Amino acid sequence: MDRHDGFREFVLARQQALMRTAYLLTGDAHLAEDLLQSVLAKVVRQWAKLSRDGNPEAYIRKALVNQYTSWRRRPRPELPSAEVPQHGASYDDATLDRMVLRQALARLAPKQRAVIVLRFWEDLTEAQAAEVLGCSIGNVKSQTHRALTRLRTIAPELAHLLSDPEIEEVAP
Amino acid sequence: MTRLRQALDGIAAEAPLVNLADAAIARHRRRRLVTTSLATVALAGVMGAGGVVMATPWRPAAEPAVQVAPTAPTAPTVPTVPAVDRAAVVADLPEGPVGRLSHAYQATCETGCDDAEWRVVTSDGKTYRVPRALARTAGRPAVPVAISRSGRALAYYSREAQAHVVRDMETGAEVVSPVKVPEAEIPRGAMLLVSDDGRYVAFDDPQEFGDYPGVLIDTRTGERTMLKRDFEPVAIKDGVLELVRPVKTDLWLMPVTGGGEPVRFDGVFVRFSEVAPDGRTVVALDMTGTPKQEPVLTVLDAKTGKALRKVPAPALAVDLMPTVWLSDTEVTVRNGAPGGRLYAVDITTGKARPLADHGEVLHLTLPGRATSS
Repeated sequence: MDRHDGFREFVLARQQALMRTAYLLTGDAHLAEDLLQSVLAKVVRQWAKLSRDGNPEAYIRKALVNQYTSWRRRPRPELPSAEVPQHGASYDDATLDRMVLRQALARLAPKQRAVIVLRFWEDLTEAQAAEVLGCSIGNVKSQTHRALTRLRTIAPELAHLLSDPEIEEVAP
Repeated sequence: MTRLRQALDGIAAEAPLVNLADAAIARHRRRRLVTTSLATVALAGVMGAGGVVMATPWRPAAEPAVQVAPTAPTAPTVPTVPAVDRAAVVADLPEGPVGRLSHAYQATCETGCDDAEWRVVTSDGKTYRVPRALARTAGRPAVPVAISRSGRALAYYSREAQAHVVRDMETGAEVVSPVKVPEAEIPRGAMLLVSDDGRYVAFDDPQEFGDYPGVLIDTRTGERTMLKRDFEPVAIKDGVLELVRPVKTDLWLMPVTGGGEPVRFDGVFVRFSEVAPDGRTVVALDMTGTPKQEPVLTVLDAKTGKALRKVPAPALAVDLMPTVWLSDTEVTVRNGAPGGRLYAVDITTGKARPLADHGEVLHLTLPGRATSS
């Protein structure tokens, strides 16, 4: 019996879900893997306490977001640009939406990107997102509003994605 | 489910499959080992040489890398070269002199980034491949290169030597660091920095929250100095290593021989320039409070910690990175990411004039700037 067996079991079960969060935050497979692995490496040493007292997954998600925003305060690595193709026969609308959204997310400030992921993908409430980000609810509201406004500005072709009532309530 | 959620789901579904448990445990063990080793080294340093650890002297591969007299470097000329023609056949960096460098970048990944390679561009626009400079390791972000602020020295990690190498671009001479760093232990997101005369190399891993303290190496004497935790190297100029503790925000102008002490600023500042020609002011981006609608460069006094003035630069996008000074009043500012648009910003007026556009290249590395992958 290895003392890390409990950690291994947890990671095996949850790593793909956590990886999806990391990937949405970073937009890059290598960076996402690096982000998640560096957080997990820190979790290893606290595993006994976390597994006994807390909610490891919530802790890891919070650490992912905080480490990501900390990374992104530093000079950003550039990613190869990929021209967004024009609407055409070879791409369906959903594929095109993903490509445009991916590029638009890359142009958001770190916290804005994080708040989009937390509020509209993780479906966290404003209070929950504030807890994860370590800021006030008011700050989450303003960051969300700014992020959506910026998405609308830099990618007007995404307007249909951002016009659902739930989103309009946040940033009309 | 909103349509935004559906699109985000689609992106999230593209996340690669991973198996990270054992890798994370191995990384945890490696970090613990490094911490223990560094604690031992630090203790030895305290008992012996007052914090400075003597390492094996550097072994010059041919002759000392750079034999420039330690005079005050002139402001580098930022060439207004067009974006590199990546379709052209690019020659390997030859053995001899090629002249000072304008910038470096990684060739665009065409087959999943396994074929990534570093390329350097000289001040007169010639581009060379640098196959000996490791570009990335399996499953890890890019391994950085660094160019000194004058463009004369290039530092890179050599897979063959399993160590960093400093090359004098004007003579072609190279020095191999005696400090071996196994490829598997290259700190993730490592920052690399080389001084103008090629004598000092600093590397650090800012993405690890100080778990790997940075190191400053004197290439002539072999002295190796551990940098204080939480501080990351920004620039080396005139024998002074500029260290920043992000967010707090502290700035430490540490002579390469040691000494000095951090100064704390009132506010949150990021992306510091090198020290201005006056030897005491720096420019940084003000990140205090809510995000700024327009970028605000702040001139800070590195001796007293006072903010001397705010310089709005409304003509530029928010994503700014001040780097080297061109004169007493103009600082080079890189604008936009991705991309390599450079401007000279007059810190008395906020006016920006374009200097160069290196296009949208991968991991653009500019002279005088600590680079991170």
